[in-house]
Amino acid sequence: MSWRNELLAIWAVTLRNALMSARNVFFFFELLFWPIVGILSIGLMSRFLELSEEQASFVLVGTIALSVVNVCQLEVAYAVLLDVWSKSLKHQFLAPIGIRHLTLGSWIVGMVRSLAVFVLLAALGRWAFGFHVLQPGWLALGTFLLGCFLTAWVVGVAVCALITLFGNRAEAFAWASVNLVLVLAGIYYPISVLPDSMAAVARALPLTYFLDAYRAHYGFESEFRAPAATGLALSALYAALAHWAFLAAIQRARRTGLLLKMSE
Amino acid sequence: MTRMVSSLSMLAIDAHDVEKTFRSGWLRRRETVALRGVSLTVARGAIVGVLGPNGAGKTTLLSILATLLTPDRGRVTVLGLDVVREASALRRRLNMVSGRPSFLWSLRVGEIVAFYGRLYGLSGRALRRRVDSLIELTELEPYRRVPYSELSTGLKQRVALAKSLVNEPELLFLDEPTLGLDPDVAVRVRAHIARLRREQGITIVLTTHYMREADELCDEIAFIKAGRILARGTSGELKRQIRLGEVIALKLDPARVPWLAEIPGVLRCVEVDGWVECTVDEAEKRLPELLRALHAEGVVIRNVQVREPELEEVFVELAK
Repeated sequence: MSWRNELLAIWAVTLRNALMSARNVFFFFELLFWPIVGILSIGLMSRFLELSEEQASFVLVGTIALSVVNVCQLEVAYAVLLDVWSKSLKHQFLAPIGIRHLTLGSWIVGMVRSLAVFVLLAALGRWAFGFHVLQPGWLALGTFLLGCFLTAWVVGVAVCALITLFGNRAEAFAWASVNLVLVLAGIYYPISVLPDSMAAVARALPLTYFLDAYRAHYGFESEFRAPAATGLALSALYAALAHWAFLAAIQRARRTGLLLKMSE
Repeated sequence: MTRMVSSLSMLAIDAHDVEKTFRSGWLRRRETVALRGVSLTVARGAIVGVLGPNGAGKTTLLSILATLLTPDRGRVTVLGLDVVREASALRRRLNMVSGRPSFLWSLRVGEIVAFYGRLYGLSGRALRRRVDSLIELTELEPYRRVPYSELSTGLKQRVALAKSLVNEPELLFLDEPTLGLDPDVAVRVRAHIARLRREQGITIVLTTHYMREADELCDEIAFIKAGRILARGTSGELKRQIRLGEVIALKLDPARVPWLAEIPGVLRCVEVDGWVECTVDEAEKRLPELLRALHAEGVVIRNVQVREPELEEVFVELAK
């Protein structure tokens, strides 16, 4: 396949997902309603508890990460979910489309949507709670966002693999799995407060390191050495594993007939 | 009429001993054997029908040929490419329409065709031209900006047809393409199919429940039942192969003549809409004998027609 065809296939999926997003009222809730409710409730709670400026920044970083990862991850999962819901999966896989096109195309839309969410939450955080996302600088912010996007990609592709493996029954994973990752990654607390076994799992999650690296700029001592590099290395590893898992799931679905069953 | 040929280079499909079993259940494993050693060859440019009762294995066979399913055993080459090892390259050259098509509900007709066009490497002016021509071909211009979810069954089928032609396929699989369509729409879809082969030389493999459709469109027909191909050949060959005989239809006065079935060479007689239809071993030989016998008994003969049996009758015989 030529580079031109590769890019065209990715663009086809990007455009398709963008059109679907623009026409679905529920996407509005994903994009605006829940993220705004999240930052307002966490920000107001930190005010009620009279948290210091650093502590408030700590939890607001968490709530922004939650919204950014959630929105982007769902969009990646839509790569398969949209076709499962509309029973068009077999048409999709009859065409010369690879999972790289599906996931990358969806990821691009996910990043655009979650960037929009991030900008909105950053503005709201600054206005309502005096929280400044650019305080750590552009590089730290860029690394943090990249970490969120990579985490979303890994979780989203893993969800796609599960749905392709188990069918509609696995749909709940699309909504639940990211929250599990976020809880373990220490979204509102340092992972040192977790029980040892859970902290061990948290240390295996890339988002843990990206949160740690970004929060270090708000006066919290880093728990890890070279957290951003560790986060990137782990993300690359999990991205490769998730891609392989999705590929294997598609091959299995072609073998078992699930690909056809999900299109009936 | 196109005939199956042995030359491999002339074959669009060359399948040998294809087997497929579906397994389900985690604790109590259930196995459903869908194909039991199916072999099929299809010449390039032919329209071949795959007929059979529900659950016979038609869709499974088509799905394997279209790379949507992998076979458990057997060797399958489509357009000279192996359906498992070279599936990616093959997908560029074939396409499919299924009986109950479904696409993303809120995409519009033009967007659906364009989406698939991009997947096949079309862009810019070339993409616009292809989408325009397919929308014109399938008479979808008034619905171009209508979301898929708001289309009728017939219009959805036409969208599926437009999408299936977006890559100018060399091989097209049509799985029950007129299922659930109004008769006038079904006639138009059949006309499209015939035109595709006539004008573009596309090889077409068709499954259908409508015998008339198969009789009208297909050069050859393969009857499949319980995962096995029971018979194959042209419509005429199949009719002769199972020795259904020919039908002499008579309009008589009086209308009921029960003793006709006892004449030698008459296999059976039935009354259909005021006609007496006698299935005979050889119409040319038996017609004069029947007419003589009727005349001798004073029966008035108002009309006589001789025809081959319907393909549906062949289907019923084979499905028994």
